[in-house]
Amino acid sequence: MWVRWWILLIPPLLVGFTLVAASQFVFLRASFFEDLGLGRVGDELILGNYIQFLTDGFYLKILWVTVKTSALAALATLILGFPVAYLIARMRSSWAMILLAGIVISTFITIVIKVYGLIVIFSADGLFNQFMLGIGLFDKPFSVFGNETGVVIGLMHFTLGFGVLLLYSIIQTIPSSLESAAQIHGASRWRVYYRVIFPLSLPGVTAMLLMVFNMCMGAFTSAALLGGGRVFTLPVMIQRIVMMDIKYSMGATIAAVLLVSVIVINILSIYLLRRLRAAHLVMV
Amino acid sequence: MKISPYRIQKAIGRFCFGLYCSFSYIFLLSPILVVIGTSLNGPTENVEASFKFPPDSLSLYWYTQIPEGQLEALLLSFVLATVASLFGCLLGVPAALGLVRSNVPGKALISAIFRAPLQIPAIVTGIAFLQLFYWIGDMTGFYWQGSLLGLALGHIFIATPYVVGTVTAILQRFDTRLEEAAVIHGATPRRAFFRVTLPVIMPGVYAGALYAFMVSFSDVPVAIFLSAPGFVTYPVEIFFALENDFEPSLMASATLVIIICLGLLLLVQKVIGLDALLKVGGSRGVG
Repeated sequence: MWVRWWILLIPPLLVGFTLVAASQFVFLRASFFEDLGLGRVGDELILGNYIQFLTDGFYLKILWVTVKTSALAALATLILGFPVAYLIARMRSSWAMILLAGIVISTFITIVIKVYGLIVIFSADGLFNQFMLGIGLFDKPFSVFGNETGVVIGLMHFTLGFGVLLLYSIIQTIPSSLESAAQIHGASRWRVYYRVIFPLSLPGVTAMLLMVFNMCMGAFTSAALLGGGRVFTLPVMIQRIVMMDIKYSMGATIAAVLLVSVIVINILSIYLLRRLRAAHLVMV
Repeated sequence: MKISPYRIQKAIGRFCFGLYCSFSYIFLLSPILVVIGTSLNGPTENVEASFKFPPDSLSLYWYTQIPEGQLEALLLSFVLATVASLFGCLLGVPAALGLVRSNVPGKALISAIFRAPLQIPAIVTGIAFLQLFYWIGDMTGFYWQGSLLGLALGHIFIATPYVVGTVTAILQRFDTRLEEAAVIHGATPRRAFFRVTLPVIMPGVYAGALYAFMVSFSDVPVAIFLSAPGFVTYPVEIFFALENDFEPSLMASATLVIIICLGLLLLVQKVIGLDALLKVGGSRGVG
């Protein structure tokens, strides 16, 4: 208009570009050096770290555990989150806002604090085990620490709130009149879910699954706390290998592998979302 | 009155659906409630008993037992989050204005650069900044990790995209004819911007500032690499406390943090409203 708006772009772009480029360049470069122990690195560029990652069963197993727990957490997020999102999206009373507020609050509390709550709930004489032993579902106390179930539960605490908010915006784009029409023509409630809501939300749900899967792949805090030093995912391993084994190069290599896989999935989900937006199927 | 089987079936269906949904809420909110409840336990003979939920007796005893280190960490986190939020806005608002208003070529690329920190897993950002600070330190002799500068740079990096996102979302819906109308009525472009445009985009700025604050305030994966002994943010402090000294006073300080977070959320909700917060939000979870 009357202002040269592009001038405003220069300072943030300079800062942003410098930080992105410098940090990524330095760490990616570091991943090509050999660890000599105690934080010292060799001065020759090599591919050894990547070869070690791709041939060592230890690292491949960590990659597999990361993918597995992330996929399970993404699926569970969908299963637990979809009905809630549907409920809020279709609710007409002021309760909808209160229910939304509950979700927002849970996403705004840091995961470390939530893990503290989980520790108390899942302790041997905590609420969960008292209840489960009481009704006879379990015969011995169940622990969420140091096993993959725990990691999945932790990841879900990280993603469920976000997932519900995302699904909520997807379901809002499906006119509820379509459901009424199906019901008027004699479809049962289940049939409406199965033949109307499910197919219409499928593209959005796919994108949501990819995004949540990606968040889980990179999630450090919940996986580290609930893995309890026995379950390792890529982010947990990066922190351990850098801070305990002081192998900066190997840490950088794992980080590079994580970064590349996450970006590939991201590009996929962005591409998917863009096609959906073009088709007016989501408004995220 | 006769109740038809159809209505019973419908009522049962609704009940099951409600039960299922409340399970999700219990899953999400129970840890938070349990932390608050547990923090109210009174002093007990053995530490184990102080983790009881629901507590036997209500007391604020553990609030007086919060270690100095945790309070210092809390203060550092608060300062850091404020700095990250402030600089996030200083960088993010012009970035969003430039992105939406200008027609420079390569906008998609510029936008991708601003969004890059969201694409990079936080743990990778952490190790990348640590390596960057080592590299700078080796050249200049000043090591930035373990200093406010280093931590702030890391947090500004991860927080700014949220401000860019929220302000962009509002600007894209802004009707530029409002600005034109102000100018036609004799306002200078500068005056039109400050009196018309800025008030309209303020909700986006508030929401972005809140997201930026929260991202910094609850971050572990970046700060864990950039902290130093004696210079630790609150989430990192209690992350390690879990392994070393798991004490009921942790629940007390955690409850203080919950209260701070709820207070901020309430404040933003009062200023711009929850739906506005969600509408502009790249409401991605933090932590």
